[in-house]
Amino acid sequence: MQYNIYLAGVGGQGVVRLSEIIARYAMEKGKRVKFYKEIGLAQRGGPVHCEVRIGDVFGPRIPPLSSNIMVIMELSEVLKALELIKPKGVVILNKKKVYPIDMMAHPERYPKQEEIIKLLNDAKAEIIWIDAEKIALEVGLPIAENNVLLGALSSISSFDKECILNVLRKSIPREIDKNIAAFNKGYEVVNPIR
Amino acid sequence: MKKLLTGNEAVAEGIIESGTEVVCGYPGTPSTEVIQTLLPKAKELGIHIEWSVNEKVASEIATAASWAGKRAIVTMKMSGLNVASDSLCSIIYSGCRGGLVIYVVDDPGVSAGMVEQDSRYYAKLGVAPMLDISSQQESLDFVKLAFEVSEKIKGPVFLRSTASISHVASDVKIGKRVELKREAHFERDISKYTKPKASWCMNQHQDSLTRLNEASKIVDSRVNQVHLEGKYGVIVSGAAWENFQEAVNRYNLKLSWLKIGIVNPLPDEKIKEFLKDIDKLLVLEELEPFIEAEVMRISFLSGKKIDILGKFDGTLSMMGSYSFKEIKKSLEALLKVKLESEQNSEIIKRAEELEVKRPTSFCIGCPHRGTYYAINKAIKKLKYKKKDIIVTGDIGCTILGMNKPFETCWTEVAMGASIGLAQGFKWAGIEKPVLATIGDSTFFHAGIPPLINAVYQNVSLTIIILDNGWTAMTGFQENPGTIPLKDTNPMRIDIVEVCKGCGAKDISVIDPYHLKESIDVIAEAIEHPGVSVVVSRRECALQSRRRKVNLPKLKVNPDKCTGCRVCLSSLACPAMIFHPKDKKGLMEITSSCNGCGLCKDVCPEEAIEVIKDAV
Repeated sequence: MQYNIYLAGVGGQGVVRLSEIIARYAMEKGKRVKFYKEIGLAQRGGPVHCEVRIGDVFGPRIPPLSSNIMVIMELSEVLKALELIKPKGVVILNKKKVYPIDMMAHPERYPKQEEIIKLLNDAKAEIIWIDAEKIALEVGLPIAENNVLLGALSSISSFDKECILNVLRKSIPREIDKNIAAFNKGYEVVNPIR
Repeated sequence: MKKLLTGNEAVAEGIIESGTEVVCGYPGTPSTEVIQTLLPKAKELGIHIEWSVNEKVASEIATAASWAGKRAIVTMKMSGLNVASDSLCSIIYSGCRGGLVIYVVDDPGVSAGMVEQDSRYYAKLGVAPMLDISSQQESLDFVKLAFEVSEKIKGPVFLRSTASISHVASDVKIGKRVELKREAHFERDISKYTKPKASWCMNQHQDSLTRLNEASKIVDSRVNQVHLEGKYGVIVSGAAWENFQEAVNRYNLKLSWLKIGIVNPLPDEKIKEFLKDIDKLLVLEELEPFIEAEVMRISFLSGKKIDILGKFDGTLSMMGSYSFKEIKKSLEALLKVKLESEQNSEIIKRAEELEVKRPTSFCIGCPHRGTYYAINKAIKKLKYKKKDIIVTGDIGCTILGMNKPFETCWTEVAMGASIGLAQGFKWAGIEKPVLATIGDSTFFHAGIPPLINAVYQNVSLTIIILDNGWTAMTGFQENPGTIPLKDTNPMRIDIVEVCKGCGAKDISVIDPYHLKESIDVIAEAIEHPGVSVVVSRRECALQSRRRKVNLPKLKVNPDKCTGCRVCLSSLACPAMIFHPKDKKGLMEITSSCNGCGLCKDVCPEEAIEVIKDAV
């Protein structure tokens, strides 16, 4: 058994921290883990993506058509991962759009949402929309977007809630209550599917 | 006990567990995190750990520590091994006393720029054993093994990894630390430690060759594994191992395999024995056909005809890091089966067309943004066209000056090479001014000899040293020019004084946050005959923000902003957002602003203002 999680966004959204919590959770559960992170020049506006592979895994990266679940913090970044989506695999889509420098002056060049959805449907993905920014604002901590998504992911993946909350508590330096609130809101807005 | 560790972190753990007493290196992706992980623990561990000025110096320090009886390691990226090789080739002849390990990480697939160099050839060239790491667990285990082997054979051992191991984390079983605390002692033996006589050198060469054989005997059964299951065979080494295992398990493949953990010398006998049972063979190794060529030699000498799939027949590429897909395809070719279908290529093609490319620029508040803006404006001020002025670039953050919107730099070769190249352009007869840009750490690393050369040969060129005080690109390591802080070395070497000492006469210092003055000073320097040096000095914005050195942020006055977007097109600052609003566009500066203030200077409408009282 393998459980392959693909996570993507842009620099500053907390993709790496989110992924690391999942990897540490899997360790706590005594599972084998492979945790790949592509950071590159994230500080300078570049994309960030991580892959967390849990269970009977050997290779560092998710093979084609094998991602059980994706967490996409920046909408268009899902386009770079279509090869990996497993048919019926879940894609959690955050509504956030971040324009690169050369698109800032021409936001109309950003890919149309309908086209992205069509491709995801063609790839037989199960889409789950979340407005993590809105939820994070509701709990009063805009940077907790990643923890909203962690909550949603944990719920859908039927993770041991107590265990992952413990890992989360250990990994956040401040505003613990608000971060946990963000997690819980994310946890509640989706239904587990397995 | 298990820990979640990247390959580099596992190497750091191995260094601690082995009782290593001296650790040095120079930052370079994908090897940086070894020392990055260890340095904060130096005091607690009671051992010497340093970022050296370059890989050659680091290798010499580690070597002498080993000659004095200590265990020592030096870490670097593949390009660093080129720098260190001059000393290392000689050191290997002399051998060592305490264990001496050279950790080098290659970057197939180029995760961080530079060449796809296959450093395995250095083990052959230098006549030293090389262990090739294929997992995070081996990253730890092989460090310990490398020290053991090095001390048994009394010679340095190469330990090679690649980015897809060094940068990936996994559950790694850790062990206990051995504390050695050996007494330093060195005995004079000039026939071993000097090379003025042919007979001594050749004896040392013979010693190296003998050590190779000894190393092979010690590790053979511990790092080379054989699995026999049928006439189809795979010889696999390095990072390809993990994806190979993934495929074998996923498709329940029945085949024989030999996993090789020592690439110099190769286990000839084991390979010969393995080939006896094989009719068709696939060699899985990233980059050059290093093992494949040797397997062909061994197969030829043993007189057995085997079909060999690999790079020579085009089954696999000599470029890039092998994905699961590539490994799967090569196995399909070996077994003549179809293993699994892939995503519809139409979907992938369409997604690639829509994909948002995210070109990288300088960070918010980066002082280099000001320097490159000023260089371009100075060129314009002197009535030259940008396309006529050669600006050689160098390694590190400063090379981002080649990207939009600046497009200033023309070349990037190696550490310090911008200053050497600039001289060659002048001697070739380029009459217009030639400029070289280089960062502080790069200058210390390899920029000083070419500066001395330029001054001595009296070449007309302008060297712009972008001094942000940190080795920033690799993750903000300290270097000799870093300002003394609580956690850093209290010494500081001033680049201006270094340039003076190298004989440069025309040296000026600018603050790249002050555009007007910077443009004037650079223009003057370009016009100056002979070598002129401009030190553009301002601390890395991310580091100064971490230290809570906050500058007043900026805001756009919506009444004055016409939406012309000159700020965006000339600076490309990621803190800016453009809101198209009806016919009139409006700029916004987000709270991520670091307060460099450049946008205020470039705005033709004076629409950008400093937020007063806000720090």
